[in-house]
Amino acid sequence: MSLSDTKKVAAIISDAGGKIVGRTKLQKVAYLLRVTGVEDEFSFSYKHYGPYSEDLANAARMGSLLGDLREIESPASWGGTYSTYIADQPTEATEGRKALAALAASADAVELELAATAVFLAREGYEHAWVETARRKPEKSDNGRIDRAKDLLRSLSKIPVPRPLPSIV
Amino acid sequence: MKVDFLLPRFMTNKRVPCESRNALCMSLQRIRDPLHNLIEFADVELERVLWRVIQTRPFQRLRRVRQLGFSDLVYPGASHSRFAHSLGVFHTARRLMDVVRSRQQGGSPTRENIALAAALVHDVGHGPFSHAFETVGKRLGLPMADHEHVSDMLIRSGEIAEILNDMGSGTAVDVADIVKKEGRKTVHNAVVSSQFDADRLDYMRRDRMMTGTQHGAIDFNWLVANLEVADVPTGVDDTQTGTVATFVIGPKAVHAAEVYVLGLFQLYPTVYFHKATRGAEKLFAELLVRVVTLVRTGHVAKTGLDARHPLIKFAENPDNLDVFLSLDDGVIWGSLSMMADAEDALLREFSVRLRDRQLYKCVDIRGRATHEFDPESKGAPEHLAKIDTCCARINARLTELLKDDRNEIPKILLDEAKRSPYNDAVGSKGPTERINVRTEGGALVDLKQRSRVVASLPDFTLFRAYHDRCDTESMHLINRTIDEEVAACR
Repeated sequence: MSLSDTKKVAAIISDAGGKIVGRTKLQKVAYLLRVTGVEDEFSFSYKHYGPYSEDLANAARMGSLLGDLREIESPASWGGTYSTYIADQPTEATEGRKALAALAASADAVELELAATAVFLAREGYEHAWVETARRKPEKSDNGRIDRAKDLLRSLSKIPVPRPLPSIV
Repeated sequence: MKVDFLLPRFMTNKRVPCESRNALCMSLQRIRDPLHNLIEFADVELERVLWRVIQTRPFQRLRRVRQLGFSDLVYPGASHSRFAHSLGVFHTARRLMDVVRSRQQGGSPTRENIALAAALVHDVGHGPFSHAFETVGKRLGLPMADHEHVSDMLIRSGEIAEILNDMGSGTAVDVADIVKKEGRKTVHNAVVSSQFDADRLDYMRRDRMMTGTQHGAIDFNWLVANLEVADVPTGVDDTQTGTVATFVIGPKAVHAAEVYVLGLFQLYPTVYFHKATRGAEKLFAELLVRVVTLVRTGHVAKTGLDARHPLIKFAENPDNLDVFLSLDDGVIWGSLSMMADAEDALLREFSVRLRDRQLYKCVDIRGRATHEFDPESKGAPEHLAKIDTCCARINARLTELLKDDRNEIPKILLDEAKRSPYNDAVGSKGPTERINVRTEGGALVDLKQRSRVVASLPDFTLFRAYHDRCDTESMHLINRTIDEEVAACR
């Protein structure tokens, strides 16, 4: 873990508008930045909650300790807890990166997880990435969430970035 | 201790002569286990199939992968294998499934069988010295070093899958899904993954027994007798996604659950995160990274290993499952004497250090910071925040310094880890990530609300540096960095 990693997490949060609500959302925002070529740090692997980077999680925790960002833990209405990440440092990010980060950060957490998972699976070679996503996450895919996740990915795909998202919507 | 794993015992009343691997006809099979005594496989479809799974190459390989990696450098008795643990998990899962059946009307035999099969094969993808091997995989981007990934591959396709699918097409995929925590969740998933899953209920007791440590005991029978099933909410960040049926404990087992949590809390510092064990893992990780790097750059000859050695083959073909299956702890231990003659200085030195247990000396940085900021161990939040911040600053500084280290052999190795007494949650933290107690009134509350002991338990966190005990320069560098950052954080 280096100092630059903690600053990179802070920059992701800043570029998303200064606030990202949720650990899952932070992971998925960073993942989408990574696969579109506007973030070069953090490697992701697949876990049951979708693409995940342990380095990112560690950097966020350390960044909070070092004062690069703030993490506020709050109780959720469903009985769990969630973290809110705040950072507001000026960055020299491209408009594409900022737009992608902001749109992803403003999305519903579950729909973002589904969209990021479908992107991950498509990049892994799954021909029917959405079908596989729904198979792996049946409870989360209920109630029209898959359709809304596709809408989200459609919107994200319109943002100009160096590496386009997979054409799966 | 005599552990009679090798010979399946046939019943004395010889019914029909048959091959033990014949799916159509099998006598009762018994395995003597040091923890559970007899683990039996009956003449029913599921257990006939699983007995055949045990005979496969991937499963037999687990005999040669130790459950606790390098822990026997500290606890000589801790040489038990993942093979024994996996059998124990299956045995424990059957006990837990009795709880599920007793709480469900009608039952779901297919789902039960899938979960029991998952319990048996859940660890089949572990590499040699599991966790250190995974560290190397993350550093070098080797997917085959991720045990979850390899387990998934081995269960979904190949000889294990073919045997599992004898219970019905698609069984292997269902088993893989439950191990990977994918697919629709039922209470049967709790047998494989929950705060009271069969994995933890076996390893806590087995590791305690085999290390010989006298703490960390749990009241297993009372816990299981008081397990209940309840629906608890699930969510992602601030959004609820539904509910899932899982194990909770009844009100009479609060103290047993308390001891269960305390047991794990004690095993982490004393066994799993022991400084010597972790120190050996650090050396092993550096050694393996160097082997792979040398092979990738065309310098096989510098490793001291033959080109046909499984480690060399793995470095050349890191995506080949068959090559992966040739790796185990025995292969690694056997390679050390060869690498002791390697041309590469790091391989020469670290292989000898591992072989002869000449480990680097440990500096407990977090211990030092704790002494500075919380000398009376009060554990107040402001003290813990200072300790965390100070350790983070020391870590960042030493990491930056080590980046510029041009020595062929790393002089300082850093180690950082954190473990909650509850099962760790890396995503959202919710009711499935804690131990839920059913109150007399029927409500579900976190064990922390019923136990002041559990509520007061902090996460176990370590931050250590390792160096050659004769290398006073590195020792001074570490100490100076600690002193300066402690002063800066005051």
